[in-house]
Amino acid sequence: MQKKSILYVFCFFAGYLNAQVSDFDHIDFTKADRIALSYNKERLTNLPELAYKLTTDLTTDVERFRALYRWVCANIANDYGLYLKNNRKRQYFKNDSLKLNAWNDKFRRRLFKKLLKKKQTICTGYAYLVKALADLVNIECEIVHGYGRVSTTNIETLNLPNHSWNAVKLNGKWYLCDPTWASGIPNPKTKNFVFLYNDGFFLANPKLFAVNHFPIDNRWWLLEDNIPSFEEFLAAPVIYGNAYKTLELHNAPEQMHHNIKKNEKVAFNYKLKKSIKAEKVKLLLDNGDDTWRANPTSISIDNTFLKLEHQFKRKGFYDVHLYLNGDLISTYTVEVKAH
Amino acid sequence: MKTQEFTAKSIYKTFGFIAILMIALFTFNTSLGQTNEKTITGLIVNEDGPLPGVNITLKGERVGTSTDFNGEFTFPKKLKTGDVLIFSYLGYLTQRVTINSENSFIKLELELDMVEMMGDLDTNTPYKTKRKKN
Repeated sequence: MQKKSILYVFCFFAGYLNAQVSDFDHIDFTKADRIALSYNKERLTNLPELAYKLTTDLTTDVERFRALYRWVCANIANDYGLYLKNNRKRQYFKNDSLKLNAWNDKFRRRLFKKLLKKKQTICTGYAYLVKALADLVNIECEIVHGYGRVSTTNIETLNLPNHSWNAVKLNGKWYLCDPTWASGIPNPKTKNFVFLYNDGFFLANPKLFAVNHFPIDNRWWLLEDNIPSFEEFLAAPVIYGNAYKTLELHNAPEQMHHNIKKNEKVAFNYKLKKSIKAEKVKLLLDNGDDTWRANPTSISIDNTFLKLEHQFKRKGFYDVHLYLNGDLISTYTVEVKAH
Repeated sequence: MKTQEFTAKSIYKTFGFIAILMIALFTFNTSLGQTNEKTITGLIVNEDGPLPGVNITLKGERVGTSTDFNGEFTFPKKLKTGDVLIFSYLGYLTQRVTINSENSFIKLELELDMVEMMGDLDTNTPYKTKRKKN
């Protein structure tokens, strides 16, 4: 009995420290998702009515928020051309705050008009809409501005915030979610946006989130300690959307780049959402001339803990991609020198 | 027996009273409406002029309307003092107006929400180191 209560106390604290979707394991989101998708054709012209329709048949705040979030992810398309144009202008005006403000003001109007009429936007539009809908049903929600890093982000020019996401308060506790990245990805060839919902970004583990989300306002890390500096953030490995589906935590390495000598090893350490078979763990190596699949030198799997080591026998500069169950999870770079 | 008669009588009396009260209510309905409940109309603008499509809802109820092409509206339900109207439009700060005994025409200017717009997408494109060509 005593053991049990200790366990409960432990679970309570563990839950408090890591605000994430597993806090709601007892809730099935099927109904909220079904409602959200049944209103797929709705327009944005009457937000109060939309918020009402999406939430009226749901009883808990987390389900109500889920329905709003899911609707936004399934209905709002990302406008890549608009995004590129905004980036160019922001970069161009970055040392002239007056012109930058004037541009922001003009762009904001265009963006909201486009969102309202065509249901297309860029990420602040997603975060804005999630907050607007949550406000209408009295769920506390904030837009978080900051830096987001993906495989194509040029970290040398990442000097202006480039991404927005949401924090939401449910049962008295704050959680993180990223509706933009959850909604879909651009087709790598055509650059056209493709809806492809990724559930991993809903109330994600703040520690995993911190690998590629850097909030401007410190309180939105939702971390107790080990808050990364901006330099540490830029030096972190590249993780992909699939990482949010597959990983609970990305423990090591903390850096993207590694300088090693011939025959030395690089160690990798993850906590998974579900255990995995060793043969489903693969590396893809690229030395600039060739790309080849490799089995890690060693793999150890203990339930959901996955540890790998890989030995580099030849000198060179390698891009090392981790694949789990056939999905690209993360990338590291390794420079191997002779001595 | 007597008690029963008495009860029956009092029931008739009560019904009579209710009937009179109802007739009175119907008769004086308009005057009552004028003192307690009123129709609210208004004009919503932004910095450029009239703003069509602004959503107007009554707080706590599922009743509402939106402004027409000229930025004007007539709220479909009569409102009483203390009712709160919520004015919302995507990209603008939401405003609330409490109905009092004086206002039956509401003129509001909605302000743009000063949120900075930006956006990076997620991607599945594998990272590739930029290498110097030999």
